Amino acid sequence: MAKILIVDDSSLSRRISRRILEEAGHSVREAADGLSALEQYATDRPDMVLLDVTMTEMNGLEVLEQLRMMDSTACVVMATADVQTSTKTLSEAGGAVGFVLKPLTSKAVLLAVDAALAGQGATQ
Amino acid sequence: MELTVPEVSAHPIANLLPALGRFVHGDVATVHQIFGGPISGDAFLLLDIDGAARLVDLLTDAGAPTKQMGASAREVLGEVGNILLNACLGVFGDLLQIRFTFAVPRLHLEALGSMLDSLVIGRDELSHALVVGTLFRVRASEVTGCLVLVLGFTSLDRFLREIENWAARATTQS
Repeated sequence: MAKILIVDDSSLSRRISRRILEEAGHSVREAADGLSALEQYATDRPDMVLLDVTMTEMNGLEVLEQLRMMDSTACVVMATADVQTSTKTLSEAGGAVGFVLKPLTSKAVLLAVDAALAGQGATQ
Repeated sequence: MELTVPEVSAHPIANLLPALGRFVHGDVATVHQIFGGPISGDAFLLLDIDGAARLVDLLTDAGAPTKQMGASAREVLGEVGNILLNACLGVFGDLLQIRFTFAVPRLHLEALGSMLDSLVIGRDELSHALVVGTLFRVRASEVTGCLVLVLGFTSLDRFLREIENWAARATTQS
């Protein structure tokens, strides 16, 4: 079981992610924006972050950069509706170890999460 | 979910109301996604209120569609719009080899005319709209809706040039 921080400005997406991860036995925390996510990460040091891209104030790529500055070993999987190849490329360049597209399915999320936690990474 | 072959048309903004009136009437639900980059504008998913209620009902198994869009129904519609608009614009971005940035999607429930009056694309003067109308079929129920890209003069010009560039690349490769 891992401690996972879900970062998404959509409460619906957070609920879906929480259900998937908790049913798989993981412990879940939530943040609705980038700043809250950085504060929670500094406090809780979760094993993994499931991070949305399109958010107010700080977008997910900016949050990813800040997280990796705070902790160069931060394990981050991006979860987004943004299907652009360039977004996936930027995420990988920023240090994300997984990339999952919305709408989120249990299979895709758990595949990416399990691979990230195992240190292998998986992308859609 | 199945989609029929989409009808694509372009219209000056002044003619957008009758063009969209072919798909929807009266009060509408729209999910707007302002996008930026080399081409910027306002993309929105447009459904009439009945269609929006039916779509929410089908996706949530609520049991009976209602036009009373509560917080939960709004969340579902917003997420559906977010996913459809990102898919549409993302494919455009990859095809045309340009990168879009997206603002957080916003849901609006209002009359079609009021919604069109409120369209804003920053400093770029409104010019034309690309309308992609289609029929969604979800579990044997039909919902009519359309995706609309509203572009200013500069973005429309760039959009057309990028499409020509893509067509040239595609024909060269084939």
